[in-house]
Amino acid sequence: MTGLILRTLAVAFFAALALLPISWMASMAFKPAAEWTSAAGTLTFLPKDPTLNNFRYVFTGNSPDQMVGLDRTVWRPLYASLLTAISGTLIAVICGTAAAYAVSRQRIHESIGLSLLQLRIFPPLAVMIPVMIMWSFLGMIDTWWGLALIYGIVTLPFSYWLMKAYFDELPREIEEAAIVEGCTPFEAFRQITLPIVASAVASTALFIFILNWSDYLIALLLTRKEWTTIPVYMNALATAASGQLYGAKAALGLLAAVPPIILGISIQRFLVRGLTFGALKQ
Amino acid sequence: MAEIQILGVSKAYGGVPALDNVSLTLNDGSFTSIFGPPGAGKSVLLRLLLGLETVDAGQILIDGVDVTRALPSERNLGMVFQNLALFPQLTAYENIAFPLRRRNVDQTEIDRRIETLAGILNIGHILSKKPAALSGGERQRVAIGRALVRDAGAYLMDEPIAALDARLRDDMRLELKRLQSELGKTFVYVTHDCDEAMAVADQLAILNEGRFEQVGRPEDVYGDPAMLAVAELVGAPRISVLPAFGDNDGMKFALGRLAGAKVKGECLMALRPEAVQLKPGGKGPCSALVTDIERLGAFSIVTAGRDGTQVRAITDGDSPLRLGAEVEITVDPDGMLLFDAATGARHA
Repeated sequence: MTGLILRTLAVAFFAALALLPISWMASMAFKPAAEWTSAAGTLTFLPKDPTLNNFRYVFTGNSPDQMVGLDRTVWRPLYASLLTAISGTLIAVICGTAAAYAVSRQRIHESIGLSLLQLRIFPPLAVMIPVMIMWSFLGMIDTWWGLALIYGIVTLPFSYWLMKAYFDELPREIEEAAIVEGCTPFEAFRQITLPIVASAVASTALFIFILNWSDYLIALLLTRKEWTTIPVYMNALATAASGQLYGAKAALGLLAAVPPIILGISIQRFLVRGLTFGALKQ
Repeated sequence: MAEIQILGVSKAYGGVPALDNVSLTLNDGSFTSIFGPPGAGKSVLLRLLLGLETVDAGQILIDGVDVTRALPSERNLGMVFQNLALFPQLTAYENIAFPLRRRNVDQTEIDRRIETLAGILNIGHILSKKPAALSGGERQRVAIGRALVRDAGAYLMDEPIAALDARLRDDMRLELKRLQSELGKTFVYVTHDCDEAMAVADQLAILNEGRFEQVGRPEDVYGDPAMLAVAELVGAPRISVLPAFGDNDGMKFALGRLAGAKVKGECLMALRPEAVQLKPGGKGPCSALVTDIERLGAFSIVTAGRDGTQVRAITDGDSPLRLGAEVEITVDPDGMLLFDAATGARHA
């Protein structure tokens, strides 16, 4: 009994620890400018005078709280973030799944898995500076496809390794049964294997989308103005009159959490199901 | 209906031979068991027959037609995989219907055939369920149904009932045997369980280390093994193998002397447990102490020995023998199999 109480307390403690920054951000998003810092009095956890002005500010560029309007609203970065993160996720998931399937079934070129990791074994900046130079030679700086491409490339190892694990776990006999019954190898993959791993593809895609969506460094280096993404835009939210716009940043942070949550909920039913659920003898 | 001929087939993986120049004929309508220890190459042979892998050398003929390089779909063989390999996203019905749908069989015909099969396999009540909701035995039947639904030339089965519990296994092997005689189709049944192999087959092929050691009727392979390896593989409880020396007085070995030496000189003497009799008292020319008794109800397996040399015997279920008792060993001369000590070949 004591053990149960202690365990519950420990879980509650770590949950609170994890939720603290997020709840602080949520609270900050509804605080008027005067409550952002302790400059104008004491700092409280909950807003004393809740307001939606921060949201209004990032979406319209104007707020009753602020003397100076924003020169850019969130709409364009939101569009850029969605477009590049989704495109990059598609590239990574499609290429990674295809590569993982081929390697898992043919048992050749297995070293490709390690070579894919080379992008990940160096500090991100060490890799991204050369990439920035390459991208600038190729004229891909500040283009949506340049950013989407690099998102696809840097997240490819994740999709490859995740999908490889799923394919390795899925017995090849299931496809062979289809082949014996008259399918071509491609038909067996499309009709039998793909539906079985659909849940795995969905969870991989969600994971990769979140990686791309939350990227700051790559977008900072490879975009200038047209295609800056939400994290880059968020960091730049400051005016000469007010300094850092903490409330607006917090509001934007809350908004940025919405797409992954929607995506997560919409594919939830795929996430929890087992992979082969009874195709085999136990 | 199909006769399958395997002619001098070899297959190696990374230089390690899995099958070494094997030949076997599976007659039309026959039930052949391929039996061997794990790793003998049984599954490889089935994969080669199906065309899932290609042979390194040799030929495979189906009804006289060379299919060595043919695609799996061109061979018209049905298969029950060792792990069943049901399609998890499809219901039992759709699993069984899959081979027919691939061949554009119309729906009324699919319904008709599945209804017939469901009756034979007793799976009518589970057709709407997915594999995850089925018990092991039910999955087994569905997998067999998926193979049988199509009018294939021959049906191959790779340890199809190995994972079932013992009682279900006994039922299923009877059912398979009945099914095969009803359908009159060529069945190839791969297993590492000797009882299973003997029970279902009318032709037993012993595969060991990539080679067929012996092919024949199960009772012939059991009673008349050509090689020591076959005698050791086939039969449970296991045969006792003892180094012996034959001369005019009989077969001498570590526990004494047995009458009737058919071979002179050194050899390996193999004694089927049912040929060995143990009598209380140690007065005869061959005696030992009881070291182990397994009472299995209908019969008991008694192990008698001395100084590391042991002989297994089958006795009555209520055998009066006790652990540590002195026993006299006699052997039915017909049950004494003699093999060359060096090559393992049978002495005639």
